[in-house]
Amino acid sequence: MATNARLPRLAPAPLRGIVRSLLLTLPIAVWSLLMFFHPGSHTDPKSRIAAAMTALFMTALFFMMMRTGKTYRWRRWFFVTLGILFPVGFIYNMVIARGTIGIPIEEMIAGRTPFCFLPIPLLILPAALTKTLVFPGSIMTSSHGIAAMVGLWLAITLVLGKGWCAYACFFGGIEESMAAVPQRAKIRKIDPRWRYGPWAVLLAMVLLSLALFEPAYCMWLCPFKAVSEYVAARNAVGLVQNGIFILLFAGLVIVLPLLTKKRTQCSFFCLFGAFQSIFNKISIFEVKIDQTHCKPCNICQTACPTLSLSKESIAHGETLLTCMKCGACVDACPRQAVVWHIKGTQIAWKPERARLMFLYAAWALAVMFGGSIIAQGLVTILHFVA
Amino acid sequence: MAAFVVFGEALTLGLVSGPACIAACGPVLVPSLLAERAGVRPHARYLSAFLGARLLGYLLFAVVAWELGALASLLPAPRVLLMGAVNVILAGVLLWYAYSAKHICDPSCSESKLVKIGATKNRGMAGAVALGLLTGLSLCPPFVAAGVRAAELGSLASALFFFGTFFVGTSVWFIPFIGMGCIARNQAVITVARMAMALIALYYLSLGIAMLLGRKGYGY
Repeated sequence: MATNARLPRLAPAPLRGIVRSLLLTLPIAVWSLLMFFHPGSHTDPKSRIAAAMTALFMTALFFMMMRTGKTYRWRRWFFVTLGILFPVGFIYNMVIARGTIGIPIEEMIAGRTPFCFLPIPLLILPAALTKTLVFPGSIMTSSHGIAAMVGLWLAITLVLGKGWCAYACFFGGIEESMAAVPQRAKIRKIDPRWRYGPWAVLLAMVLLSLALFEPAYCMWLCPFKAVSEYVAARNAVGLVQNGIFILLFAGLVIVLPLLTKKRTQCSFFCLFGAFQSIFNKISIFEVKIDQTHCKPCNICQTACPTLSLSKESIAHGETLLTCMKCGACVDACPRQAVVWHIKGTQIAWKPERARLMFLYAAWALAVMFGGSIIAQGLVTILHFVA
Repeated sequence: MAAFVVFGEALTLGLVSGPACIAACGPVLVPSLLAERAGVRPHARYLSAFLGARLLGYLLFAVVAWELGALASLLPAPRVLLMGAVNVILAGVLLWYAYSAKHICDPSCSESKLVKIGATKNRGMAGAVALGLLTGLSLCPPFVAAGVRAAELGSLASALFFFGTFFVGTSVWFIPFIGMGCIARNQAVITVARMAMALIALYYLSLGIAMLLGRKGYGY
C-alpha cells in the first residue's frame, strides 16, 4: 500500500452542472413517479407518504450520481436502506398475514409462500427432465406468472448481467450494510480459492435438487431463512435446519462482512450469484481496465466488495466473471483507468456514456424492485410510529 | 421365450429408468468426474470402473432380493437402516475423495493452464469403484421396482439376469458423461468439484445419521 500513496493522482472528474444533472435525472424522476403513483396505487396516507419519500430518495440518489460522477457511493445508500427495510416490511407482512414466518411444508408445496428468486437455478434440471417444478413459492400458482417472471428475468439479465446483485438483491443489501460499518477491514488476506465457493454450492445444490426432488438449498443452506419465511420446525431435525440457517446468516451476513468489509455471502456462498455470473458473458455492459492509464496499484482490487478482481485479471484489463458492476472499483481508481464499457466498442471510448446507459437500466430496476421494497418497509415503520 | 420376455422387460425398465438413475447418481458422479484429469479416455476408464462396481452392487442386491423372496429387505425399517448406512459410508468416501483430490493440480496448476498429471494417474480408480458400489446399493425407486420384479422370478439365475439386463438399460444413459472429459481442468474446476463433493458428503452424512437414528431426514 505504500506505493499507492506515491502514485500521481489524476484530477478528479469535474462536477457536472446542476441543470445538466437535473436533465439527466429527469427520466428516472418520471419513472419513479410512474412506479409509485400510478392510478389506484395508494389507498391510505401512510403509503402515499412512503411512496413519495421513496421516489424522492431514489431520484435524489440518481441526481447525485449524475452530479458527482460517482456510482458506488450513492448506490450504497440505496442498497443499505434496502437491506435494512426489507426484513422490516417482509416480516411485518408475514406476521399480519399468517401470524408467523414459520411456514408448514404443505403450504410451501401448495405454493402459498412468497416468491424468492434464489432457488431458480435449482428448478431448471428437474423441470427439463420431468416437467416438475421443485419450487417453494407462489410461482407455481400460474403458468402466466412463470412466463412473466422468466421474461422479466431474461430482459434484466441480458442488459445487466450480474447487475441484479448490485441493484436489486435485497439479501445482498443486508450484508452491504454490515460491510459498511467498520472503517477498516480486520481480515485483509483472503484465500482467493474461496471465490469458487458459490460455484460449488451451485453445482452441489443443482445435483442434489435433481436427485432428491426438492429445493435442497431452501431446505438446508439458505442463510436468509433467518430473516424471511422458513420451514416450520416440527421435530429435532427441523430445529437443526433452522439452527443451520441462523448460523450461516450470523457468519456470512453479519460477522464476516464486519471483519472483511466484503460481501462474503455473495462472494463465497450465493448460488444465484454464481448462476447470474454466467450471464455476464452475454450482457452488453462490463467494467474494463484501461491499460494505458493503469499503474498496478491494486486499489481497485481492495475496493471490490466481491473479490471480482485479481492481479491476473487486472493485467488482462478485465474483471472476473463474478463482477456485479457496482462501480466500487471505478470510483476508487485514482487514475480513472477502470472504466465502464460497452461490448464491441474500444476500451475507454466514451466511458461516461457507457456508464449513463448502464445506470439508466440498472436504476430503473432498482426503483422498480428495490424501491417498492423500501416503500413497503417505510409503510411498516409509519404504522408503528403513527 | 420366457427368457426373452424377462430380457425385454428388464431392458425396458432400465432404459425408462435411466434418467432417474442419472439423477440419483449425479451428486456423486459429476463432481468426482470433474475432479479427474481431462480427456475422454480417462473418463471412459473412470466410468467403466464406476459402472462395473455399480453392476456388482446390483447383482449383490439381486441375490439378496431373490434369496429373501418375501422382500424382507424392502420393508421400510431395514430399508431405512440400509439407506442410512449407505449414505454415511458414501459421505465418508466422498470426503476422502475431496481431500485426496487436492494434489491433482500439483505441481503447477495455474488459473489458465491445463492440468498435467503424472504420478496421480490411477488415483481415481479405487474411488470410482467405491462410489459405484455404494450408488449401486442405493435404493432409488426404479431400483426397488426392479428388486420387486427380480424377487418374483423363479431362480437366482433369472434374478441375476434380470438385474444385469436392467443395468445395461440404465447404463446407456451414462455414456454422455464421458464427454465431461472434454472440459479443461484448471484449479477453478478442481476446487469447485472438491468443494461440491464436501458439501454433498455433508448432506448425505446428515441424512444417513438421521436415518440410522430412526428420525425423519427432514424437519417437517
